[in-house]
Amino acid sequence: MIYEIYHQTTFDYQSMVTFSHNIARLKPRNTLFQKLLDFSMEIQPKVYEQSEFIDMFGNVNTHMLIREAHHSLVVVGQSRVELFPEAMEEYLWHMRTSCITYGDALAILSRFECDHLQAKQFLFDSELIQKSSENIKAYTLASFHPHRNLFEAAQEFMGRIFADFKFVSGFSDVTTPIEEIFEARKGVCQDFAQFAIAALRTIGLPAKYMSGYIETVPQEGKEKLFGVDASHAWFSLYIPQIGWISFDPTNNVIPCRHHILLGEGRDYNDISPLKGVVLSSGASQLSIMVDVRRVD
Amino acid sequence: MTFIDNYFSESSFDEMLDENKVIRQHWSEVLQRIETAGLDELALKQAEIDWHLEDNGVTYNVYNNPDGENDRPWRLDPIPFVLPYDEWNEIKRGIEQRAKLLNLILKDLYGERTLLKNKIIPVEVIFGHKGFIPEVYNLGKKENFCLHFYAVDIARGPDGKMWVISDKTQAPSGLGYAIENRLTMNSISKNLYPSIETKKLSLFIEEFKLLLKKLTKGDISKAALLTPGPHNETYFEHSYLSSFLEINLVQGDDLLCKNGEVWLKSLSGLKPINTILRRVDDKFCDPMELRNDSKLGVAGLVDVLRKDNVAMINPIGSAIVENIGLNPFMKNICNYFLQEELILPQIATWWCGQEKERAFVLENIHHLIIKKIDRTDCAQIYLGKNLSYQEIENLKALIIKNPYQYAAQEEIGFSTAPHYANGKIEPRNTVIRAYALKKEDAYTVMNGGLVRVSATNDTLLVSSGKGGSSKDLWILGEDEKIDTAYLFKRAPFSALSLNQLPTLRAENLFWLGRYLSRSIATMRFIRYVIKKLTTFYRFDETVSRESQRILQNTLTHLTMTYPGFLEEENAEKLEQYPMDEISSIIKDVDRQGSLSFTIAMLSNANINVKNLLAMESWKLFDKMQKEWNSFIRKSNSSSQTIVSELNKTLIYMMAYKELVEESMFKEQGLSLYSIGYKLESVLLLISKIRSTLCLKLDRSVTYEVLEGILNSCESFNAYRTQYKSSLHLENVIEFLILNPLFPKSITYISEALLQELKELPKSKQYLSAYEKPIFEAYSLLKLIDLSTLLELKEGSLVYETLDNVLLTIQKLFLSCADEMSRTYFSHDDE
Repeated sequence: MIYEIYHQTTFDYQSMVTFSHNIARLKPRNTLFQKLLDFSMEIQPKVYEQSEFIDMFGNVNTHMLIREAHHSLVVVGQSRVELFPEAMEEYLWHMRTSCITYGDALAILSRFECDHLQAKQFLFDSELIQKSSENIKAYTLASFHPHRNLFEAAQEFMGRIFADFKFVSGFSDVTTPIEEIFEARKGVCQDFAQFAIAALRTIGLPAKYMSGYIETVPQEGKEKLFGVDASHAWFSLYIPQIGWISFDPTNNVIPCRHHILLGEGRDYNDISPLKGVVLSSGASQLSIMVDVRRVD
Repeated sequence: MTFIDNYFSESSFDEMLDENKVIRQHWSEVLQRIETAGLDELALKQAEIDWHLEDNGVTYNVYNNPDGENDRPWRLDPIPFVLPYDEWNEIKRGIEQRAKLLNLILKDLYGERTLLKNKIIPVEVIFGHKGFIPEVYNLGKKENFCLHFYAVDIARGPDGKMWVISDKTQAPSGLGYAIENRLTMNSISKNLYPSIETKKLSLFIEEFKLLLKKLTKGDISKAALLTPGPHNETYFEHSYLSSFLEINLVQGDDLLCKNGEVWLKSLSGLKPINTILRRVDDKFCDPMELRNDSKLGVAGLVDVLRKDNVAMINPIGSAIVENIGLNPFMKNICNYFLQEELILPQIATWWCGQEKERAFVLENIHHLIIKKIDRTDCAQIYLGKNLSYQEIENLKALIIKNPYQYAAQEEIGFSTAPHYANGKIEPRNTVIRAYALKKEDAYTVMNGGLVRVSATNDTLLVSSGKGGSSKDLWILGEDEKIDTAYLFKRAPFSALSLNQLPTLRAENLFWLGRYLSRSIATMRFIRYVIKKLTTFYRFDETVSRESQRILQNTLTHLTMTYPGFLEEENAEKLEQYPMDEISSIIKDVDRQGSLSFTIAMLSNANINVKNLLAMESWKLFDKMQKEWNSFIRKSNSSSQTIVSELNKTLIYMMAYKELVEESMFKEQGLSLYSIGYKLESVLLLISKIRSTLCLKLDRSVTYEVLEGILNSCESFNAYRTQYKSSLHLENVIEFLILNPLFPKSITYISEALLQELKELPKSKQYLSAYEKPIFEAYSLLKLIDLSTLLELKEGSLVYETLDNVLLTIQKLFLSCADEMSRTYFSHDDE
């Protein structure tokens, strides 16, 4: 399965910008289940300098300095990514059959062990996600009993978010507190992912924020228009001794055939597609256009 | 000894007296001197110290709150803290060892992470600490990513040993105060403590310079001290250290990153920087990769660090080892890295991330001190014994929710040392801050330090933020004699040529000139308008009313506080109660263009160039600002009060102006100030003339208006001397615009400006973009004659030629200001 992704990010500035440092994260990473076949990036206006580095979470970051006077910055990432759903299915099957209980997981995690070194950095408060209230904890624990299989519990938890929360855009942004999302029981994919992560961390489980794309299929008989997709977000849970597993609470599915991973982090901020600092007064506005197409 | 009879310490250890109240040997000489001098003499010495510190402008909170509430003068005790050299040597070994360890930990955590992989430190102590910066992950392997500069707070425990209280690693402060304390003590020691020999601090400063030299690869001009700026409470120290170390003092806006390197914006262009001594906290260092809302950092700095093109003292990420959660593991870490035992004991610490320890803490919370392992957002310390039942329960809940973030320490009674306060000598708790610098693979510790004294004799917590005093730390013993006077010269370090002047400072000086000029001109004009208003009924009403209206409109134009007096809807009210509007133009600090607004902008520029100015000018400015602020807070001031306030403030302003002009060299940036002042003066003069003299008026009105303009320029007497005649429009125009000898005329200022602009670094043989407009204005003025200027078309109410010429000149002057910014301040195309 091969997907072609077009991801355009635009900063519009109120006043002229003559000097800006930016970081773009638009290059999908390679995993056991996907391979980046081709990638290109276009930047308007011309960059003065550009370099790449890999961050602590394994994401590719592109640092760009722009010194041409401009009113808007447009960064387009185009990638071709091959998915390996069979590998994913095999991995999932393995997960399902060998998964431990929630209680065991906590016991293992509380040990002084280095196996979980990488995973444990996703256990703590991050800028956008803090440990949540008793209410959220209680809501979460309804799915997580100590003797319950962790995989099953997580899958049920995902299903409950899908059922209990309404998908409403315009209500929130990435900085909306998780408590508010929970209170209103509504939001968009980022909110559901961040809510789930906060909830899981609160009950002692490492969870990370996954950013990427999902293929959308037009209604029967209609042609898909260009650029109608959006970037997508879901979460991944760490199961000690076994590994990470992703859940998409917005669609109540375990990502396999339709999700293309861009990058991951502790929360949205670690993998925001474009961030920058400009020397200018006045506000800026970020807009995004995404197109995801299966080509093979 | 007499005063010792009343000296009674409740502490288990006193520095001066042993348990039998016998004076410890290393204190005997100091005490003998104090005894000989007597308490009265000590009081005099204290006064002398206070005077010295005050005179040097050493305040803890250098940014003076205009209301004067936050002034917290730095205090220094005339009695030093004395230690024998042998004991200090042992302590030094401990500090060296700890610095070495923390450096190894820092490099390991951002490098191989063997401490985590080998289970020597639990990962929670690191990932649960807000000082851990993922952005610098993997940089620990770079040679210059290390703990170059380290400070540690130590205090003597009940067992007589010095214990570690806390580590300072990201941007250790206080060294400047330690130096200032020593210099101040030197001034009283000569007759209070003659012949007592102490170890010198100067060698440490030399070491610091050597370190900078090494990191800058021999060119110390590539080093900079990055300060959060003059509003920071320890700005004094930043400015002070930069002058000792002879490095640039810069703010985030002074620097930019490009080509993977850091550059200092200076008047002659961008200069490379490869070493940053920083006083900005980790997360504020780079708004692109770290805190996006930071105004104190440099966008792209982390990336330069990643590319290994800058050495930072200390690197971003260093706050991770300011971490009391590490304490319980230090013994094992020391063993792991150095195969040694810890030399300096630490306070017993229980990290709540471990189950057994947490249970112990929750059980014994009443007699423990609870702290967060990181002190990056809040430095709250809970003293278990002082908490109410409810507070204890709340604290327990916090610990249970985030156990990794908390640690508890045993409450220790630290030693006391004699302190002179309120006419007697009392025992007070003290904490020593010691400093170490990395040198090759080891550390050099300063033979001295900053001793902080608790505010009262029953406070355990010693903090410079909470009042209290300080002491100089004396390590007894002779040092080789070296001439150190040159090290401690007080001149601010600044480039001695305009070429090296940092852009931000240049820009601030430019605006200092502009705002000072504007403040003075506005004040004079308002004062004149009010004076006219109050004597208004003495004259023929119709005439004066007309001139009054013109003057008031001019005030609106001059301050650009539109609609102001030009508002037609309100015309009647404005005419009847002009003082309301005038009062707002004076006092309303939120109204752009108002006098208070201008003074606030001036104050901002003043603070930003403070370290170039003489002490008197700071004091004068602070005094002026305080008095001004208290004046504008009062409502309903009478016209007389306002005028006398304006009179007084004008005198302050003129004195300030004189101090600025005489305390700075042209090469230090006075040229920028002077250019700013001149440009602004011309712009304001044109504004005044255009709204008054360009109008064709009745003779009597003309007379009053002319008088007003001359008065508001303080030029009436000069005019009379020059023209020996009564007021005529032609003469006044000639005088203010064309006269080549009168220093306030536009022609004169243009000529002077041309000369000053020529001295700027980018001026060449031919005219630069910023010189051209002034040259054009100057030519225009030189080529036109008075009669052309005052041509009046038949039936016209405006002197059109005059108005057009002035408009042209105004545009040319504005264009010069724009070109100045483009050429010198923006660095867009470098």
